[in-house]
Amino acid sequence: MADAVTSTISYPVKVTAPPGELTREPLVTPTRDIGWLSDAIAGVAEGKTPRWWWICFGISNTMLVVCWGMIFYLMSTGVGIWGLGHPVMWGWAIVNFVWWIGIGHAGTLISAILFLLRQRWRTSINRASEAMTIFAVMCAGIYPLIHIGRIWLGWWLFPIPNSNSIWPQFRSPLMWDVFAVSTYFTVSVLFWYMGLIPDLAVMRDRAKTKLRKFGYGLFALGWTGANRHWSNYEKAYLILAGLSTPLVLSVHSIVSLDFSVSQLPGWHTTIFPPYFVAGAVFSGFGMVLTLLVPLRRVLHLEDIIRVRHVELMCKVTLATGSIVGYAYAMEFFIAWYSGNPYEKFHFLSSRLADPYIFGPMFHLKPAPYWWAYFTMVSCNVLVPQLFWFKRIRTNMFIVFILSILVNIGMWFERFIIVVSSLNREFIPSNWGYYGPTWCDVLQFLGTFGLFFTFFLLFLRFIPLIAIAEVKGVTPQADPHHPLGGAKVGGTH
Amino acid sequence: MANVGPKYWRSLDELADTAEFREWVGREFPNGASEMSDPVTRRNFVKIMSASFLLAGLGVSSTGCRRPVENIYPFAKMPMDYVHGLPQYFATAMPTRNTAQPLIVKSSDGRPTKVEGNGDLPGFNGGTDPFAQATVLELYDPDRALHCALNGAQKHRDEALDALVSLAQSLGDGTGLAILAGQSSSPSRERLQKAITQKLPKSQWFVYEPVDLSIAAQAASQGVGRNVTPVCNLDQAKVILSLDCDFIGTEENAFHNISKFAKGRHLDGPESEMSRLYAVESLMTLTGVNADHRLRVPPSAVVPILARLSSLLGGEATSGATQEYDNWLTPCAADLKANAGKCVVLAGHRLPVEAHACVGAINQQLGAIGSIIQFLDFAPAEGKPIADLAAALNKGEVQTLVILGGNPAYNAPADLHWKEAQAKAKTVVRLGYYADETSWDPATHPTTQWDLAQAHFLESWGDARTADGTIVPIQPLIDPIFGGITDLEVLAILAGEQKTKPYDVARETFRGVGGDTEDAWRKFLHDGFLAGSAAKVVDVKWNGTPGNLPAGSAAPTGQKMDVVFYRDMKMDDGRHNNNGWLQELPDPITKLTWDNAVVLSPNTAQALGVYTTQLNQNQKFFYYKVEVKLGDATITGPAWIQPGMADNTIGLALGYGRTKTGRVGAGTGFNAYELRTSSAMHYASGATITKTDDRSYELATTQSHWSMEGRPAVREANLDQYRKHPDFADEMDLEVPKIDGEVRPAYPNPLDKTKLHGLHQWGMAIDLNRCVGCSACMVACQSENNIPIVGKEMVGKSREMHWIRIDRYYSAPLEKGVDPEFAPHDPQVVVQPMLCQHCEAAPCENVCPVNATSHDDEGLNVMVYNRCVGTRYCSNNCPYKVRRFNFFDYNRRPLNHLYKSPLVTTTDGEWELMRWLKNPDRGNLPDDQWQMMRLVKNPDVTVRMRGVMEKCSFCLQRIEQAKIAAKVRARDSGDIRLTEKAGTIPKTACQQACPAEAIVFGDTSDPDSTVNKRKSQERNYTVLSFLFTRPRLTYLARVRNPNPEMPDYKAHPVPYTTEQWEKVSEPGAAGSLPGKGGV
Repeated sequence: MADAVTSTISYPVKVTAPPGELTREPLVTPTRDIGWLSDAIAGVAEGKTPRWWWICFGISNTMLVVCWGMIFYLMSTGVGIWGLGHPVMWGWAIVNFVWWIGIGHAGTLISAILFLLRQRWRTSINRASEAMTIFAVMCAGIYPLIHIGRIWLGWWLFPIPNSNSIWPQFRSPLMWDVFAVSTYFTVSVLFWYMGLIPDLAVMRDRAKTKLRKFGYGLFALGWTGANRHWSNYEKAYLILAGLSTPLVLSVHSIVSLDFSVSQLPGWHTTIFPPYFVAGAVFSGFGMVLTLLVPLRRVLHLEDIIRVRHVELMCKVTLATGSIVGYAYAMEFFIAWYSGNPYEKFHFLSSRLADPYIFGPMFHLKPAPYWWAYFTMVSCNVLVPQLFWFKRIRTNMFIVFILSILVNIGMWFERFIIVVSSLNREFIPSNWGYYGPTWCDVLQFLGTFGLFFTFFLLFLRFIPLIAIAEVKGVTPQADPHHPLGGAKVGGTH
Repeated sequence: MANVGPKYWRSLDELADTAEFREWVGREFPNGASEMSDPVTRRNFVKIMSASFLLAGLGVSSTGCRRPVENIYPFAKMPMDYVHGLPQYFATAMPTRNTAQPLIVKSSDGRPTKVEGNGDLPGFNGGTDPFAQATVLELYDPDRALHCALNGAQKHRDEALDALVSLAQSLGDGTGLAILAGQSSSPSRERLQKAITQKLPKSQWFVYEPVDLSIAAQAASQGVGRNVTPVCNLDQAKVILSLDCDFIGTEENAFHNISKFAKGRHLDGPESEMSRLYAVESLMTLTGVNADHRLRVPPSAVVPILARLSSLLGGEATSGATQEYDNWLTPCAADLKANAGKCVVLAGHRLPVEAHACVGAINQQLGAIGSIIQFLDFAPAEGKPIADLAAALNKGEVQTLVILGGNPAYNAPADLHWKEAQAKAKTVVRLGYYADETSWDPATHPTTQWDLAQAHFLESWGDARTADGTIVPIQPLIDPIFGGITDLEVLAILAGEQKTKPYDVARETFRGVGGDTEDAWRKFLHDGFLAGSAAKVVDVKWNGTPGNLPAGSAAPTGQKMDVVFYRDMKMDDGRHNNNGWLQELPDPITKLTWDNAVVLSPNTAQALGVYTTQLNQNQKFFYYKVEVKLGDATITGPAWIQPGMADNTIGLALGYGRTKTGRVGAGTGFNAYELRTSSAMHYASGATITKTDDRSYELATTQSHWSMEGRPAVREANLDQYRKHPDFADEMDLEVPKIDGEVRPAYPNPLDKTKLHGLHQWGMAIDLNRCVGCSACMVACQSENNIPIVGKEMVGKSREMHWIRIDRYYSAPLEKGVDPEFAPHDPQVVVQPMLCQHCEAAPCENVCPVNATSHDDEGLNVMVYNRCVGTRYCSNNCPYKVRRFNFFDYNRRPLNHLYKSPLVTTTDGEWELMRWLKNPDRGNLPDDQWQMMRLVKNPDVTVRMRGVMEKCSFCLQRIEQAKIAAKVRARDSGDIRLTEKAGTIPKTACQQACPAEAIVFGDTSDPDSTVNKRKSQERNYTVLSFLFTRPRLTYLARVRNPNPEMPDYKAHPVPYTTEQWEKVSEPGAAGSLPGKGGV
């Protein structure tokens, strides 16, 4: 690789290529200089709005209108418009909530944990992932609020002094959810904004209209790039990264407690917190791939979000997918090991029993949601195994398709947990079947509208890659690098 | 509403006539609540503000805690015995076919709201049937006949009565007058009937009941040679054999039979004796559910079986006997013989009179007559059958036809073509509770037809006799809401009586039976019965011989099937068709709501190819429609596969498929009367059935899974096993997992310590050995606790709101080669009332984020509706799934509009949002429905809005009322404890209505309480006890009493459910079961 450096550009200084085993594939194509980086990234938000953006924005906005429309219909009419009933009192709303929250995991993991672990490859993808996180948590946050029966009293879940003089019940995991999600959202937004400040200053400085100058200037908080600014910024960023790190683990652990604190077979499971976190990281990376693989192409950012980034993300997906697969297997083991016939029934007869393999093997009738379980296992456990192959990891089209399968699989995981645990629990007379209505479906699509509307606006107004940070990983940024620092030929 | 009379409703009291009084009762908080009189009040301001929020798109504001505008109009004169806020109770009775149910009815501010059985009558325990419980809804039915009409044109009731008077004067000697009435036990009616016969000697009296339950009385009268009514003391029988006699479900006085049957099944301990029930039947009925041995036969085999039984018992040989069922019948007959004098054979109302005669002879031979079966010295009034009337009408012999109640145009035998026959009379006077098929029809009608609006029995004066002949008063709790007329009034006018007001008629009759004094009359009304008026038991022998039984038809085949027309457990013969509580009450067997179905056995269904939707499948229930052809008539209905049904037999419930009924009953089911002819009123044979390709019909059932899956929800053992292992039930669950070596609940109650300070500790015990599954408790609860109906579509989505439900499980023997998915052919059935268990360590409480459900110090798990925001987490975490959620505003919105946003719908031509802005306390129901619906509500219980979870409260309102009453009584003594000894412990609504006395509620901290005694029985167990939620509601395990000589016992000496449990439960997870180790 190092040969490429010397072979394509001729410099007056004679540089000996470093030993082969120490080289790593560069994180930004080395031919791109730092000025190009600024232009390329800021240009996405500056140039003429492309037509594809308007088309996507139009579609997303229509879906957003559907989102509000469905909420309005729901509020005026009742939760009954959804497919819920006895015994399945939580359906798509909670499935979607957990799914969106899970997606919201990658951003903070990339920006905080990878930062602390000095994973420099994060710089190309952290901004977009964090934005994704924030919008995903917004989508998630809608559901617990609107799924309740009396939406207008949703604020009773917050510890606000009210006319009833009753505090919320702190023993309830739903209460913990409120705190976990709102803290996560707040810290994620702060962290994201914090990292944005230098880039907003870049945008301000590059702005050609007064309005943009004012707007970016307002949010750039007077950033000048002074050493003291940088010094303070780096410290603050490190502190926020430290603060965010436990949140990555806490949010989904606590969401998982919604289920494991209950006593339903299939919900009452101690493995849930780590299993949910792994699943969340898995689905988060799946979603990052779904977003960035096409974006890097459409926005011509292949030099910054390189195949290597995609490969690395595929590896994380593979690792977390395997953890999730292990958790699925453990659930069966524990159901057997517990000796509890209710647990055993649940995992054997309500999950595993399909009409083709396991059902006949154990003489079981197909579980009502066997298709969901098998979609889940195929998408979450089997599909990521393909990422063992470099050829697949580097084929952007296949990665894109597989990342979508991961998203689908994770949605079904939540569906399986929420619905199939509820539909056949302790007393057989209660058993029932749940199916969504068109309102459930449109509400889900509606939140995609919300997500993509925000994401598209983000693309058009905010640098989608951290300009300042990505420059730091270029060879030129390293003073010890032959090309770095203020040596001759170093360019700024 | 305004055109039906000057008054909407009135109380009994004269004061009720004042507008002030009506205002007063309309208010929620009668006194003590003052407010500003300024027109721009705080409340108005808040209303407008909420409306602005709505318009701003912030949501439909809650109307949950709003109080109505109040104006204080104090009484100028206080009505006697009236205390603000306290309901009053009056004794009355619900007339049924040949008998009546004695009732105590609660009146809240002048309107009857809750019906309870009158347990003061000797021999009655206060239980009722579901019909009685649901009757208040019929009283306030906005679709009932609202006015009298002449040829369809509305007339005032006075005009109608005047016309009736002039008609009566023109009758001469009664030539051409025919009166068609239903059966009645009313002494007044008997008296008037006699008067009419005297005054109008040429008049004719016809009686028609589509489901005639009086055949046993007819047969008995023939058998003993005088007019008698048999009663059966089931509690004294040790062995009962029922021949298609559903005495627990659809026979006369079933509620009374249940109370006696349950007594005979009662177990105090392992040494107690209990009765044994054999059932021979074609349908799966409640009697079959409760039978220890059940023989499933097509209807055509019942009579041959009876013949065979007669000869097995050594009686005279009768023709047509079958030996096909000998392996079942022989030990059964031996058992009967061995228990001679303590056993009884019962024949159902569908069997011919000859069969009843044969059964009577058998009973005489078995020594049942005189001991278990007694004959009472009264008989149903007689009348000619409807077929004669139809013939007379067709011959033109009837000029004037008076129809008192009933609905012959709908339910007369199809071959009579009643509608055309009725049109041949010149004048028809029809007294009916609904404007229905028999009412004036523009297409076919007589020259003159008067339709008189009938009064509900809670609006009318009258009298009746109970099962034992005791005379009971029917006294009104409210003036006729729509100016209804009673049958006594019509008859009195026809009889030319001086006094025709129903009160005077009833009073006059009482003079004849109860003496002339005013005191006696008052006591009669107060007590609700005339003491000592029970009919005398006549000591007679059954003289009849078995005689010749009618030859049974050939056994049914797939091409020529048998049909059974049966009285529906909810609609009766169709008279309760517009009653939403009954429509939504799940059938005790099929658990179907809002429909009847073509009931087929699994085998028959499979042969027909309609067995593609397994009963067991948790999918939506769509059914093949099938076509049933009998003679020339055809009906189409959805096929329902019923375990336990006889093969090649079609069960058709009557009472559905009405063409002209109210808004509730419209479109429910199909009309089985179309197949029913006067020659085959109960059984028919030779029907053919064909499958159609229409699978679009959905049936709404409240329970979709029939198997208990080996889980010990209902625990049962056979009597001998129970005697060896009295605590068998306790051993059937998993062990409670231990944490750090001790047993701890997963959700400890923070009030665990303070709960010790509660004065009472409420608890309940349900004896599954007494419960027969009649479902009266479900309607009682619905009525007491303002539980809305939700409609068929919502039931299909499992959103029914019943706080108490009856779980029904079929269990099949574990046999090799039998597909477990298949519905069983000969199931054992168990039923279990399931309601909030009031767990001490309640899983629901722990997970509620807003403290909406919590514990009180007397052990109740209380639900605070105002606090509930509807996360539904509590329901998810409830292992019993007994919490119900208001998915829509069921109480306030029309059921067919639930899915339509109120923002885009109109009611009574007005935009619903506008209606709401004008008056947020008004529902979105059409005004007539809304006004009537409000009246049926119990003012002591909150009406829940949408988005709120609700569940059984152990009738908290009754507990509180009892406590307040105790405090008032105690004064300074401080003795406020409720005790059973003092009779101050309240009864829950379900307990009160339960004729079997299966449900017992009380104070568990009182060692002498009945509930404690029941709970201390060894059969006592907790459902899902391994979860250690420590419910306050426990069950007493069911004990079957099979005969060891019977073939099914020999194959399976353990109940099927227990057998299945043994298979499923982990070895070592529970103790040894009687079937395995002990026996």
